[in-house]
Amino acid sequence: MLPLLTTIVFLPLLGAAVTALLPKGRAKSARVVALVVSLIDLALVIILALRFDVGGGLQFIERVQWIPEANIQYFLGVDGISLPLLFLAALLLPIAILASWNISERPGFYFTMILLLAVGMNGVFVALDFVLFYVFWELVLVPMYFLIAIWGGPNRQYAAIKFFLYTLFGSVFMLVGILALYLNPAGGTFDMMELANSSFPAGFQWWVFAAFFLGFAVKVPMFPFHTWLPDAHVEAPTAGSVLLAGILLKMGTYGFVRVSLPILPGASASWAWFISLLAVISIIYGAAVAFAQTDLKKLVAYSSVSHMGFVMLGIASATPEGLDGAVAIMFAHGIITGMLFLLVGMVYERTHTRMIAEISGLSKQVPVAAGLLAFASFASLGLPGLAGFVGEFLSLVGAWRSPLIAPGYVVIAAVGVLLAAAYMLWMVQRTVLGVPSEAVSNITDLTSREVGILIPLVVITVVMGVYWSSILAYVNPAVLTLLASMGAA
Amino acid sequence: MAYVALIPLLPALAFAVLAPLSRRARNRMRWLGVGAVGASLALSLVAFSSVWPGGQDADALYHASWPIAQVGGADLSLGLLLDPVSAVMLLVVTIVAVCVQLYSLAYMRDDDRVGWYFGVLTLFTAAMLALVLADNFFMLYMAWEVMGLCSYLLIGFWHEQEAPRRASQKAFLTTRVGDVGFAIALAIIYATVGSFEFTAVLGAAGSWAPGVATAIALLLLFAAMGKSAQVPLHVWLPDAMAGPTPASALIHAATMVAAGVYLVGRALPIFEASGVALSVTMLVGTITALLGGLMAMVQHDIKKVLAYSTISQLGYMFLAIGVGGAVAGTFHLVTHAFFKSLLFLGAGVIIHASHTQDMREMGGLGRHMRWTAVTFGIGALALAGVFPLSGFWSKDEILDAAWNGGHYAVFFLALAAAFVTAFYVARLWFRVFAGPAQTDDLEEGPATMLLPMTVLTVITATIGFAAPAFSSFLGHEGHWPDPLIAISSSAVAFAGLGVGWWVYGRRDAAVDTNMLKERAGLVYTVIERKFYFDDIYEHLIIRPYIWAAEALARFDSEHVDGGVNGVATAWCRVAEAAWWFDVNVVDRMVNEVAHAARVAGSNMRRIQTGGVQVYQRYVLGALVLFMLWIVVKGA
Repeated sequence: MLPLLTTIVFLPLLGAAVTALLPKGRAKSARVVALVVSLIDLALVIILALRFDVGGGLQFIERVQWIPEANIQYFLGVDGISLPLLFLAALLLPIAILASWNISERPGFYFTMILLLAVGMNGVFVALDFVLFYVFWELVLVPMYFLIAIWGGPNRQYAAIKFFLYTLFGSVFMLVGILALYLNPAGGTFDMMELANSSFPAGFQWWVFAAFFLGFAVKVPMFPFHTWLPDAHVEAPTAGSVLLAGILLKMGTYGFVRVSLPILPGASASWAWFISLLAVISIIYGAAVAFAQTDLKKLVAYSSVSHMGFVMLGIASATPEGLDGAVAIMFAHGIITGMLFLLVGMVYERTHTRMIAEISGLSKQVPVAAGLLAFASFASLGLPGLAGFVGEFLSLVGAWRSPLIAPGYVVIAAVGVLLAAAYMLWMVQRTVLGVPSEAVSNITDLTSREVGILIPLVVITVVMGVYWSSILAYVNPAVLTLLASMGAA
Repeated sequence: MAYVALIPLLPALAFAVLAPLSRRARNRMRWLGVGAVGASLALSLVAFSSVWPGGQDADALYHASWPIAQVGGADLSLGLLLDPVSAVMLLVVTIVAVCVQLYSLAYMRDDDRVGWYFGVLTLFTAAMLALVLADNFFMLYMAWEVMGLCSYLLIGFWHEQEAPRRASQKAFLTTRVGDVGFAIALAIIYATVGSFEFTAVLGAAGSWAPGVATAIALLLLFAAMGKSAQVPLHVWLPDAMAGPTPASALIHAATMVAAGVYLVGRALPIFEASGVALSVTMLVGTITALLGGLMAMVQHDIKKVLAYSTISQLGYMFLAIGVGGAVAGTFHLVTHAFFKSLLFLGAGVIIHASHTQDMREMGGLGRHMRWTAVTFGIGALALAGVFPLSGFWSKDEILDAAWNGGHYAVFFLALAAAFVTAFYVARLWFRVFAGPAQTDDLEEGPATMLLPMTVLTVITATIGFAAPAFSSFLGHEGHWPDPLIAISSSAVAFAGLGVGWWVYGRRDAAVDTNMLKERAGLVYTVIERKFYFDDIYEHLIIRPYIWAAEALARFDSEHVDGGVNGVATAWCRVAEAAWWFDVNVVDRMVNEVAHAARVAGSNMRRIQTGGVQVYQRYVLGALVLFMLWIVVKGA
């Protein structure tokens, strides 16, 4: 039997090979190949989740020497922190594929890129050797670049290059950090688990943390490194936006949890004031700028900056509540923002505009789309009982408990919850409610394919929001293990 | 007693069934909501009777909790607690909810989204029932927010119109201002106690540093002020009247807005541990009772009069808790829930009949709508505090608590508010029901609407006598009213009603109110402009925020992103410069070297004569130089 994680990670590569080699005339069937591959992948992740022992630490480990001369291993494994993210990636993949079902321009290449992207996304969350991690990390850039540059909006070239260079700029610093850990006498390995058990001198930790910070903060993105995001989102095709917001941003925050905290615990504490400061700025600033947007996609993009600020606040707190909350938001944000981008895309396909001023009265004209958009908006603004609230609440509680974070920051972050309601409700008031505008007056409601894409996300949003254990049962033990190892190191 | 869980669960399930249906199916299935709430009422009666006769022994008669997650080492749970207070609240909520649902069957019959209306109303009821049964602050907060959603959805039910759309957003955001306080309070509670459970938190409250207790209490109070529309967070409630009237009756009069009072009552030990917070509660309540009443005096929209009246009466409840009369406050919550929902349902019939909400366009309705006039009148008198109706008893207990607590100033201010209340009640009733009719086709409401009103009227008329029993049910000593206070409050009520009648009610000699307005001058203007709260918020918060958001957005694209693009542009310049350097310096050097090599080569060529002797001379010379070097180095 094949090793499960390797299969999950590389099955999309096989699919990509098939879609790439399809003859020109059969290119349309690429979508079927992609869908089948993504569904098998999802099924495998579900099997993995069912076989996962929630209290059992790192599992499904695969470890072989890869380049023995440099002590580089092929090392995969999954724990309660990475599993929800792996599941998220596997879930959003078929959804992204179905959302691109009718793509007409070079479908073969398109689905090849989507599947290639999946390899990188899956890989990042299960790689436990830094070289492998870095390979997956960078692998993600290429297909996303093409998705934006070929299938994007009018300004796609600019957005694609900006996305590529900006994040590459960040990851160069990450590479420096990786090499510094490797070359340090206390390190000497690329094994992330082993590095987590080593202890590095405080001064060394301080600047290595700074290097990783640049790599991760661009990806998250944290203020002031966020401006690639709105451009990339606005120009990307819907599936690109879904995966970008759903998965790619989480790579940054996951990096903080998987790398910065366990390997550099001392520096994480001494940098906490700075991280939480930027987090709070991101929360408020993202919410305010989102409020002023006139383009729906940009509004959602800036809302991501705000939400990811809550993730970073939870991470900086280094408390069980904060970290549980951080992972919960990562997951919930992927689901909810995925819904928002899908819906904005569906509305755009019909109205050919994303300008808020030109869209109104959706609820009268297309009640199903409007209802789902309102649902996603309320989930996004953190309504209790839906998924978005879980992490936001825990992150605030954890930040308050944390000795590393000034109480004033938490108060300001809590105001961010109010500001989230402001930009979301105002958007709903202008687009969903009211009398149909000209652009809306003749459009048709969602098709069953479109509703079918959204239903799983709706269900997950409700289930997670009501029964928090559905995700925290996985996350909490892993977080406790992580924090215990930080204390020990 | 696991059936207690069904009380909030049945309506929640009804909503879960209704929500995904198509509009038409939902409209057909609207009875599902009515049925679920009816079943909750039946179960609540059973629960109440099991708690009876209450008292201290009945505390936590039923307590169960279900963890929904483990966070760190602690469990987060949804838990239910049935004690005398929650048993009373269950009855209040389910009785009013059933009345409102029955009434709505007729009132909302012709609306094409009636199914959605009933669904949301039912979800609201579920949330409110979950709130009063909650055994911890965390669950209370969740239910609290879900109620906020339902309130939003119902205020904006007719969202094609501008006013409901704006009002719904204003309501959600204003109450969420308070909820920021709630969220921070929860964080402090958790950091201090490590649990959200009432028993754990309230039991520990006495041992906290006073600062902690004060912080938590004030934050909870702030949340309650948002939900219960206390000054200065009251501004959303009058606007919320843009929603369907029966929904206003349930949510914005009887139940949700009282949740703030309930929260403060639940958290009372924290407030008592603080002391300061109790005084602040009293202050907020007193100010609100007075200002709300004053604003109710000058409104022309019948629902807005009732809305400001609700604000004022909720202020009474806060005042009561603040002076140490929590039981009196809770009793007023109960009586108010019944008579105010009665008034709202009556207002619905009036609006249905006269097709306007403006009282200036009404009048003479009493002749055509006798039953409405009577029931509405009983509700109005109860609100004014006239014996033996329910409002008299509960208001009296509050005055009693203020007097006996030594808060004399508050006592007199509360009396003043009672006078104002009686005045606007008279103004309302006479304007609507007396005088000449202004519309022709006035018709009494259908029986399905009058029946729920009758039920509420009966409760309003009789429940006051239960005042002492209510106290002992909650575990306190019950007593009948102090005659002196009863007489003075009655005198004030009749004085207010009398003045109201004198101005608005006399058949011929109705006072020219314009003259009064001119006389009052500035005072009238200030009240009429609602003490400028809305204007202040508009100019000091909302517009500056919009301005700041737009400025930040410009800053973001011009400077933050501009910086990034600047780096990129700068890099392009560097690249161009490098290119120039490459072409003009590096490459030229290469070319120069090549050229030099060529020149050197052609020069060298001259040495290469091919003559062996010449070459020997070179070799010899080199040899000599080499030997010289060795000699020098050796030395």
